[in-house]
Amino acid sequence: MADSDVPTQDTGAAAEATLVPPAPVTLEAAPSGGTVAVGIPGRTGFERTRTIVVYTFLFAIALLYFVPFFWMLSTSFKTLPETAHFDLLPKHPTLQAYRDAFSTFHFARYAANSVGLAVTVTCLNVFLCSLAGYAFARLRFPGREVLFILVLLTLMIPDQLRLVPIFVMFTNWHLLGHYHGYVLIKLASAAQLFLMRQYFLTIPRDLEEAAKLDGAGYFKTFWKVMLPLAGPAIAAIAILEFEGTWNDFFWPLIIFNTAPDHYTLPVGIFSFVSEYQTLWPQLMASSVIAIAPMVLLYVFFQRYFVAGVASAGVKG
Amino acid sequence: MSATAAAREERPGRGFGSERVREALVGYLFIAGPMILYGILFFYPIAYALYISRYDWGVLGKIDTRGFGNYRELFHDERFGIAIKNGLKFTLAFTIFSMALGLFVAAVINNAIRFRGFFRSAYYFPSIASSAAITAVALFIFSADGLFNQITGLDRAWFGESGTALWTLVGLNSWTTSGTVMLFYLAYLQAIPTDVYEAAAIDGAGAWRTFSKITFPLLKPGHFFVSTLLVIGGLKMFDQAFIASGGTGGPNNATLVPVLYLYRVAFYDVRFGYAAAVGIALLLLMLGLTLLQRLTFGRRDTN
Repeated sequence: MADSDVPTQDTGAAAEATLVPPAPVTLEAAPSGGTVAVGIPGRTGFERTRTIVVYTFLFAIALLYFVPFFWMLSTSFKTLPETAHFDLLPKHPTLQAYRDAFSTFHFARYAANSVGLAVTVTCLNVFLCSLAGYAFARLRFPGREVLFILVLLTLMIPDQLRLVPIFVMFTNWHLLGHYHGYVLIKLASAAQLFLMRQYFLTIPRDLEEAAKLDGAGYFKTFWKVMLPLAGPAIAAIAILEFEGTWNDFFWPLIIFNTAPDHYTLPVGIFSFVSEYQTLWPQLMASSVIAIAPMVLLYVFFQRYFVAGVASAGVKG
Repeated sequence: MSATAAAREERPGRGFGSERVREALVGYLFIAGPMILYGILFFYPIAYALYISRYDWGVLGKIDTRGFGNYRELFHDERFGIAIKNGLKFTLAFTIFSMALGLFVAAVINNAIRFRGFFRSAYYFPSIASSAAITAVALFIFSADGLFNQITGLDRAWFGESGTALWTLVGLNSWTTSGTVMLFYLAYLQAIPTDVYEAAAIDGAGAWRTFSKITFPLLKPGHFFVSTLLVIGGLKMFDQAFIASGGTGGPNNATLVPVLYLYRVAFYDVRFGYAAAVGIALLLLMLGLTLLQRLTFGRRDTN
């Protein structure tokens, strides 16, 4: 995680400048100079007390935010009898809970399903959305504006309204309990398309036209020229889609309800909770398994998460 | 440079050159995949939901025609009433708490010079965790013999009692959402010009006065944007209530929120027609609340 105030990643800041439609300024690019009443002379004593108060607050809240995760991690290395003692750290740390979760309670299978689905959905989605985003941003065809309004309209339709009709449709089409049924649902998501279009609009036309002059076709121009230029935007939508699929509970619950060997980690956690609620170390171990990959992604690609958040505004 | 300029001139401006037709065809081809998916999985389902909602519909399909019977039933359905009431209670409290927490944290961070990036990462962190895993952790911490009771000296099964279950969910969701709210508020805070604060400081305004008289009112667009998101998000809340109550909405319907009710009507009662009507009613409720928010914020604008 970045400890410095002034971010040094120029490309990331540039990406966010265009990836944050609803917010008035970028998050990363803002310099720390914008803080309140810092440079005003003659108030040093007051400033010092205030600084101490502010940092005490900040650290206290950060600690409070971290406690549940710490408790989860600590408990996952305990045995069930040990959870009754409320020791901060396990006296005899053991991996037994993880072994149980992976083998006895099928979390190895759930994790494999989660990885497979999240990777498949992310790759397909990035390809489809960047291709369509490019077309909406650059190519001219009749009805483009109307079709784009339709894209935006899908962002306003809540999943809950689609639940019943999609369940009935998928029953008829025999897509329930199948991986590809779930992949289809996740591929129909317009937030990423919207973000890609906005990003492509900011890329100067010169490069494209140079490619066209060299005789490159539309797909080749997209693939060889535009896509490499859209690196930061692609990273942002890939993270957004991966996070969304990895953490998704609603659709896997509905599509895989009758196929336990297709469960993803979140649905696996729910089924574990309903069956063995008080096996706390195993439950905490499975929660760690579900959260850890996101934490790793977050540590390494934090700025893209921040950029992706803005699209929550788009998702509505 | 001159090469690209030449290319621009060469391109046929108007008329139906074959290049123009080709570009349009390629455009349609590039957007075809997503557009077909949106058609099948967004627009067709809406029409289909309206259609299904007019029938008595079971696992095997249509059973009987009901006309508007499903919609009429909504008005006499006691559990639907409970679900809407729970949903509104949850949404109101969740919106207020997450906004207060997110704004507080954002305002404090905005005053910090050192470690700002670290604090922002730390507070946003709960937002990235899977809702199922977070709810599992909350079930553990708020259980009768859990950490929360141990620390506070209280003695309650927070998710197990009808008086506290919904409020525990409010706390849980406000905590995980506050990081996202903070990010939005930070963006809006940084849009406020610094000379406003300098003027206030010269006038000798204290930190609280500066915040309440200057910062808070200037954040109005932020309040509107964030509250709209939170109200819709609150009404759509499902995962946490479903997992914490084991899918029942209990104890004693205390966590029966609208979407959970819809799920139960569809998959426990197997009444798809009625569930479709519930879904459409929820959509109308969301649209209504969004409109109401727009109107209230809009009215203050004219004053």
